[in-house]
Amino acid sequence: MIKLLTGNEAVALGAIEAGVDVVAGYPGTPSTEVMLNLMAKRKELGIHMEWSVNEKVAFEIAAGAAWVGKRALVTMKMSGLNVAADSISAIAYSGCTGGLVIFVADDPGTSAGMVEQDSRYYAKSMIIPMLDLASQQECLDYMKIAFDISEAIKGPVMLRSTTDISHVASLVDINGQTGRENKKREAHFERNIPKYTKAASAWCMAQHQDALNRLTYALDTIESKNYNKKYRINEIHFEPDSKYGVIYGGAVQGNLLEVLNRYNIKVNTLKIGMVHPLPENLIKEFLENKNIEKILVLEELDPIIESEIYRIAFLLNKKVEIIGKLNNALHYTGSYSFALVKEALEVLLDSDFNNQDKDLEELMPILEEAQDLIVARPTSFCSGCPHRGTYYALNTAIKNLKYKKDDIIVHGDIGCTILGMNKPFESCWTEVAMGASIGMAQGFKWGGIEKPVIAAIGDSTFFHAGIPPLINAVHQNAHVCIIILDNWWTAMTGFEENPGTVHLKETDTKRVDLVNICKGCGVEKIDVIDPYEPQKAIKVLEEAIKHPGVSVVVSRQECALQAQRRKVSLPKYRVDIEKCTGCQICLNQLACPEMVFHPKTEDHKAYMEISVDCFGCGLCQYTCPFGAIEVIEDGK
Amino acid sequence: MGNNLYLVGVGGQGVVRLGQIIAAYAIEDGQKVRLFKKVGMAQRGGPTLCEIRIGEVSGSRIPPLSADLVVAMELAESVKALEYVKPGGNVILNKSRVYPIHIMTHPEKYPGEEVIEDLFQKTGAKPIWIDAKKIASEISLPIAENIVMLGAITLLSSFDKELMIEVLKKNVPRQIEKNISAFLAGYEIAEGTQI
Ligand SMILES: Cc1ncc(C[n+]2csc(CCOP(=O)(O)OP(=O)(O)O)c2C)c(N)n1
Ligand code: SF4
Ligand code: SF4
Repeated sequence: MIKLLTGNEAVALGAIEAGVDVVAGYPGTPSTEVMLNLMAKRKELGIHMEWSVNEKVAFEIAAGAAWVGKRALVTMKMSGLNVAADSISAIAYSGCTGGLVIFVADDPGTSAGMVEQDSRYYAKSMIIPMLDLASQQECLDYMKIAFDISEAIKGPVMLRSTTDISHVASLVDINGQTGRENKKREAHFERNIPKYTKAASAWCMAQHQDALNRLTYALDTIESKNYNKKYRINEIHFEPDSKYGVIYGGAVQGNLLEVLNRYNIKVNTLKIGMVHPLPENLIKEFLENKNIEKILVLEELDPIIESEIYRIAFLLNKKVEIIGKLNNALHYTGSYSFALVKEALEVLLDSDFNNQDKDLEELMPILEEAQDLIVARPTSFCSGCPHRGTYYALNTAIKNLKYKKDDIIVHGDIGCTILGMNKPFESCWTEVAMGASIGMAQGFKWGGIEKPVIAAIGDSTFFHAGIPPLINAVHQNAHVCIIILDNWWTAMTGFEENPGTVHLKETDTKRVDLVNICKGCGVEKIDVIDPYEPQKAIKVLEEAIKHPGVSVVVSRQECALQAQRRKVSLPKYRVDIEKCTGCQICLNQLACPEMVFHPKTEDHKAYMEISVDCFGCGLCQYTCPFGAIEVIEDGK
Repeated sequence: MGNNLYLVGVGGQGVVRLGQIIAAYAIEDGQKVRLFKKVGMAQRGGPTLCEIRIGEVSGSRIPPLSADLVVAMELAESVKALEYVKPGGNVILNKSRVYPIHIMTHPEKYPGEEVIEDLFQKTGAKPIWIDAKKIASEISLPIAENIVMLGAITLLSSFDKELMIEVLKKNVPRQIEKNISAFLAGYEIAEGTQI
């Protein structure tokens, strides 16, 4: 059956076809939709799936299930791999009995901010085989292969995607079956201290050697199961009359094939689908081809394959010119576009492919002219977003305490909450990594910042990595004010459930109240505010900022988009045009997308209008000095 | 080299929905298809982009100067598609404007229709203009702006009209009669420009 699937949808289906028994993950672009798609089938599949509190825990859930013999999958974005790394490297030493697949998605071009981290290094440093995805079909096929390899070698396998694979849809051939039906696996764990603990150096070194041996088995497995032929994991193609070669891996395959087709270029190619361990023999076979004199290595991000090509060429004493990043021909940043791949091939073949560049050159002045016309559309909070109220109250509290905005450093954190750095609020100064705002704030204090230092963090981020730094702040008695913007959901990544999410009918999860967590961590000054009631919130924030010690303010109100989806309905607001002076104070303080400003014309004065899509948070009524904004009473 | 459609607009205008319907049509028509979508963060009003590639292509993105059809759902966003128009390719521009806040207070900073027309003319393209919001409102289904555009796209891409209506019926669960009227209205406007 052929279906149009995004890479992430295909990864999810691959896991189902592979008969996965347990799934855990933590959201993060571009990996999130794998879990979202699996979650949608949670009931039907009848297996345990969870959004875990963070990637490390998610990995441990999956690894635990794999230690008792089940097929388990964990999903995360590349940043999550850093969080989970400690446990992953330990499990890589011990291996596992069931199939264990770690799905990780990198983001060349940073479609979602954060770093352009190359996860392939982790496969090397942790001694774990890694398959690198080059098409949506591979997303489905390689997931199944990854489970097969993992079971065969009795160790974890990593499956790596990138944005251009995960977020693009193409036609995928699926079988649509659930692999679990005919394979019921019993839960069983055998006591084996030297394998499952790290309590003696001899055991650790033996485990290290086992892990290294598993790499070899992984290559043997794809050979012996004939996967190379069937699924083109690693594939050589020789072109008899060409002295040029291209070695490539990952998402760049699409643009490479398109350039080769479009300009009718025939070169020798080596596709690498298993990036760790590399298919050393195939690379040797490729390099030993007498015809080949010049090689282009195409891989997004870091020159991982490329440096190995240098090494192997050196061992073979092969004289070959290598074009890539290490000779500064290609760059480390961004995803590789059609134009870039074309240019790289032009360098390889030392020729100019077409006249299309000339058209583009002619277009350049027009494009430059167009550049000036682009209308900036800065990202801001949604209509009714509770974070708007929190930052409005915070800015007002800072002002009431007679500080200037530039006096008070607010460390932002990951998520929708960071939009507080944008206009009109400009409250947040920094953004580092999940939970880091709380630790960084303490460092600023001990570093000598005398004025109050504030950390603003979302609920999911707090659960994920904010608790240890909070305990630390209490323990060290650091004078920091921590605002937890609790909107009940992990909103920015697509509204996933987190431990603080209000109990849902569909799941049997239990809500963990982060106020209790803070109390349990020893915080003595803790308040809960409603961001839709700024007047009270401002007073509470003033006190919290002044407090000599750790203070926590939980600003609690559901994410407006999610509330809308759950059909929460609030009374709407409107502007009394008689009273409105057109001063734009509401707009300049809140920038709610439902505010429509009408400049003065011959027919009417300047005035503000509130669109019918007003969510009804009521915040704007507090900003109007003329009392022009009023609630629309029922039925009027 | 396939049939490449490059769609731009802002969040809330149904750009991605439009792309999905076209992709569904291509599959129904027995063709290969690739779909790329880029939506900003959750909020409304951010730039959106959808690329549909029908036929034998392998890259996920449309290269510059390679879009057989460029569609802008929002006036000012159209300039971002300029680079992709294939020489001789078609361009459909919606007159709808979505103002971010700084434009609301200074609307003179927003490019007018003549400026945009001029720009496309310079590249050799002859844009077709549609006031999709007005048409959709006349049918009293203002959100069907994208379906009006679909009508015009269908004619200009020589898609099969009846088959597209079938696909529309499958993909638009509500108000199907009004949606078909919106579709036909867009189709007729595009027809009118071809004489
Ligand atoms: C280690 C790591 N994992 C995941 C992410 C992806 N991520 C970005 S924003 C975000 C959600 C934050 O949710 P929350 O703190 O509740 O704030 P909200 O968006 O709901 O306001 C996540 C998980 C990341 N950046 N880093
Ligand atoms: S998605 Fe929710 S939390 Fe994020 S900006 Fe919109 S309303 Fe606010
Ligand atoms: S009440 Fe005011 S601030 Fe809140 S959503 Fe409506 S217009 Fe926006």
